[in-house]
Amino acid sequence: MWHFLSTRLVMGFLTIWVTTIMVTLLIHAVPGDPVQIMYAQSQGTTPEQIEQVRRSLGLDRPIHIQYLMYMERLFQGDLGVTIRGGQPVLEVIFQRLPNTLMLAVTAMFIAILIGVPIGFLAAYREGTVIDIALMVLAIAGISMPHFWLGLMLLFFFALELGWLPVSGNSIMNLILPALTLGLSNAAIFARLTRSSMIDVMSQDFIQTAYAKGLPKALVLRRHVMRAGLLPVVTMMGLQFAFMMGGAIVVENIFSWNGVGRMAVEAIFQRDYPIIQGFILTFSVVVVVVAIAIDALYAVLDPRIRRA
Amino acid sequence: MDTKVDTSVHAAPLGFRKRLLLSPNGIVGLVIVLGLIFCAIFAEHLAPHNPAKMGTGGRFLPPNSDFFLGTDEFGRDMLSRILYGSRITLLIGAVAVGISLTIGMLIGMLAAFRRGWIEAILMRSTDILFSFTETLIALSFVAVLGPSLQNAVIAVGVAGIPFYARTCYSAALVETSKPYFEASISIGSSPGRLLFFHLLPNVLPTMIVVATLGVSTAILAAAGLSFLGLGAQPPTSEWGYMLAGSRDYINRAPWLMTIPGLAIAVTVLGFNLLGDGLRTSLDPVERK
Amino acid sequence: MSTTLLSVRGLSITLGSDARATSLLQDVSFDVSTGQILSIVGESGSGKSMTAKAIMGLLPPKANSSGIAMFRGQNLLAKNTTPPRGTGIGLIFQEPMTALTPVLTIGSQLTEAIVVHGLADINAAHRRAIEMLDRVGIPNPVQRMRQYPHELSGGMRQRVMIAMMMLLEPDILIADEPTTALDVTVQAQILDLLRDIVFDTQIGLILITHDMGVVAEMASDVIVLKAGQVVEAGSVQQIFDAPNAEYTRALLDAVPSIEAAHLKPLSTKGTVILSARNLHKTFRGQRGVGPAGPKTKALDDVSLDIWHGETLALVGESGSGKSTLGRVLLRLTEADQGTVELGNMDLLALTGAQLRLTRRKIQMIFQDPYASLDPRQSVGAAILEPIIIQGSATKSDRHEVVSELLTRVGLTPEMANRFPHEFSGGQRQRIAIARAIASGPELIIADEPTSALDVSIQAQILDLLADLKQEKKLTMLFISHDLAVVRQVADRVAVMRQGRIIELGPVDAVWSAPRHPYTKALIDAAPVPDPHRKRGLRTPLTGSFSTGKLTEVAPGHWVAS
Repeated sequence: MWHFLSTRLVMGFLTIWVTTIMVTLLIHAVPGDPVQIMYAQSQGTTPEQIEQVRRSLGLDRPIHIQYLMYMERLFQGDLGVTIRGGQPVLEVIFQRLPNTLMLAVTAMFIAILIGVPIGFLAAYREGTVIDIALMVLAIAGISMPHFWLGLMLLFFFALELGWLPVSGNSIMNLILPALTLGLSNAAIFARLTRSSMIDVMSQDFIQTAYAKGLPKALVLRRHVMRAGLLPVVTMMGLQFAFMMGGAIVVENIFSWNGVGRMAVEAIFQRDYPIIQGFILTFSVVVVVVAIAIDALYAVLDPRIRRA
Repeated sequence: MDTKVDTSVHAAPLGFRKRLLLSPNGIVGLVIVLGLIFCAIFAEHLAPHNPAKMGTGGRFLPPNSDFFLGTDEFGRDMLSRILYGSRITLLIGAVAVGISLTIGMLIGMLAAFRRGWIEAILMRSTDILFSFTETLIALSFVAVLGPSLQNAVIAVGVAGIPFYARTCYSAALVETSKPYFEASISIGSSPGRLLFFHLLPNVLPTMIVVATLGVSTAILAAAGLSFLGLGAQPPTSEWGYMLAGSRDYINRAPWLMTIPGLAIAVTVLGFNLLGDGLRTSLDPVERK
Repeated sequence: MSTTLLSVRGLSITLGSDARATSLLQDVSFDVSTGQILSIVGESGSGKSMTAKAIMGLLPPKANSSGIAMFRGQNLLAKNTTPPRGTGIGLIFQEPMTALTPVLTIGSQLTEAIVVHGLADINAAHRRAIEMLDRVGIPNPVQRMRQYPHELSGGMRQRVMIAMMMLLEPDILIADEPTTALDVTVQAQILDLLRDIVFDTQIGLILITHDMGVVAEMASDVIVLKAGQVVEAGSVQQIFDAPNAEYTRALLDAVPSIEAAHLKPLSTKGTVILSARNLHKTFRGQRGVGPAGPKTKALDDVSLDIWHGETLALVGESGSGKSTLGRVLLRLTEADQGTVELGNMDLLALTGAQLRLTRRKIQMIFQDPYASLDPRQSVGAAILEPIIIQGSATKSDRHEVVSELLTRVGLTPEMANRFPHEFSGGQRQRIAIARAIASGPELIIADEPTSALDVSIQAQILDLLADLKQEKKLTMLFISHDLAVVRQVADRVAVMRQGRIIELGPVDAVWSAPRHPYTKALIDAAPVPDPHRKRGLRTPLTGSFSTGKLTEVAPGHWVAS
């Protein structure tokens, strides 16, 4: 097990390290002069101020020096300042990150709580009308663009029916965006769970269980479920990453004050420090969650736990 | 010497086409996709109006007999916009997947073929890139190069490479481990022959399925970027962009939101069903 | 005094319904009594496994059964009878590696059925399980209870399966190919165990198998199935001594015997065509980047000469290194150290184009006929490929060359345009053979070429190989785990264990008078298709064996000291 986990940890560190490199290089990939572009929209910046920024970002130095400067500041917790208003990027991100995390985690819960039982039911009733109906629903769910779903939900529940507020930051506001994200991913979980269960049900050891005379309910509960849920756990890490990505759009629709919304605004404003900070944060969150889920899996699967 | 002649006829499994037709998903998907292609090719003939012309009709007209799908905030005919949008959508899908598929397959096949450190480097790099998630990669691309449909498509294409590389790698690994591959090596096949005659044809079916399903992902991703304003710019009649525009008028003209979204959903559904159908028709592993 | 436990009359199984129904089993009848071992013998497709499933009520949903199976006063095949699973009749499958649930402990899998059937409470069940594990010969039973299936070897898992079923105290045990996936020494142990249990508990055992040797060893009565029908039934002596049906006779003829006198004259030592020296190969558990896993020494200082025109057999159980040796000679796996001299070239030192050209001299026939042909390549193209690569025929000749090769291996030229999936396993192996001889090799390495085939097809393929060898003056390295087949085809044999050759010599000498204790154990363990040779308990395979240098104990006969 430790071998499995240590490999994951190493890869995790490597990923974050590569992210820092890419983030530093990002500014250079911009066609034209990045600093000019950054300040193009704010009036009244003198050429001296631009030069100052350029120097503070280290853009007048060779790349590896820049990188070292960036890393040095990173370890001190300094991610730079925003173009507008000059707030420390770290502060801005930390203000909004909890909102995004809340959204993503809630959506994950919704997706699992709806998707997995549906998948299980469909597998149990494989080939019947129920199975077909559920899977048609699932495919429709996957095909629906989540931003469209968000708009539709907004339209119906907030505007037409007035049950839920349109924008704001209370818990009530969390419901619609979480549902939007959660439902689209529920479909993926449903299909995944179904195929995993069906796969397990055709395995030899299930035949053995029946041959022992165990009743169907017990076989399903103890043998099929436990073996079949393992691949689903594996996918959870991936799905969480998708949800983080989806959160970016959903936050925009519902004006949810998370890092996704911040990032899109930053892109329009060419606020590179924030963009860099966002990419880094996103990466770190995804990697940490992925490792956590891998650790969970390592504990759950006896073949890895007792390799 | 009397080696008996063995002329027994083995029951061959159903041919590929028959199996595809047997899958209801596949049929529906195929119909949708073909319909889409038709619309895209003949958009000029099918569209009653010029999609970019403002003031073709009154503004915010709901669907009626003159304007089948109504008009938008600039008085442009929705039906025409949707039809032309299908062309853009298909192009987006084709180009993005084209990029991801070719580069991804190259990486994947190479890694599976030339084992050892090349494999390790390629696959670990791919894994790292993969963990960035496609959304982030696409977003970073657009952040750097600036919002435009072109950039969005390239972004989506590049963002998809890790996924295709990994999938192709797994598939190729399975094939290279099979005896027929080793048999070909032991006959003295050159690396080129192994790659193109043996590996590629056996990996292609899986990749075609993945690519078909991937078209839907690419379309969704590009539409998403356009929705955020980072992709298609005015006056393009790209569906994601149209959805973005509809936000301000949800109350007043709900069809502006419903119709483009529906178009995207149906398109994506079509490709998903087709991909599903292709997958089941390739599936029957013939066992003794 | 034995009573009839199970009485089957007219069992028939059809798959599907109405017009397109296929018949899997037709009108099968047999009885099983206390303390009796009944063997159901058949090749693939004979329906033998279906019989077991029908009795247990485990048929796939689209299958329908009819007939009578009287057990404990009830007809098991009637619509509303509860199947007798577990406490009435137990069932053991073929693949021990996949037959146990990987996520549950051995202990919980052993006890759950006891508790569910109400035979005991959880504590008593736990105790019984430990006792039963001990009974079936598993060391450290208390520890095993807490372990998971993947921590046990194949033989151990099969013992666990037997324990699991016996804990439910059934009247009958059905064993469906219980030892086919196991090494021959392990197989012997499991069969002994089963025989022991039958003797002790007087249950009835239905042993389903395709191996006539196993039948001869174990069964008292036999049913022979072919394509779903009972071709012959009787006592085991009668079946073997005086078979009535032609199919039974053909089946018995096709079975190679380890004791058969070697008909071919002993070949005198000729020239050495291949000389392998000091080959080493170690496999690490992990590939690519990352800390290495457990290492396995597949080849440990192996040296071997192959003489011109002979068939040298490599024999061993799993992990012996025999397949690795074959692959190293073919450069499919790279040896860590050592040399292989072919002609006057060091085969292991060649690279690039020269290696590719030299490859044609050694060709391989693989074990799995279903995976050794490219499914997307027509049969003709597959056979032609070595010729195209070596450039040994002009474009106009190619068609003829392929036709000739196809005919030579017992197929027809029209088959050239068809694809592998249209052929049976035996036919595909013939195609593979045609491909192997196409480039005119000097040495053919056959890696378990018939292990995946039915015994009747196996006989045909072995005959074909023997003919070709003689006609084309081929030398063959025959890798196998089947001692009887080796006896039939080989001139010399090398016995391998854990990466070393422990005995080497003329096959007659080695098989009839083995010197090394491991060889003795192997031969002892191999089932003999002769019911009159009942065996006593075998000497168990314990501890380590001498694996030192080979010393010549008789002319041409070497044994590890």
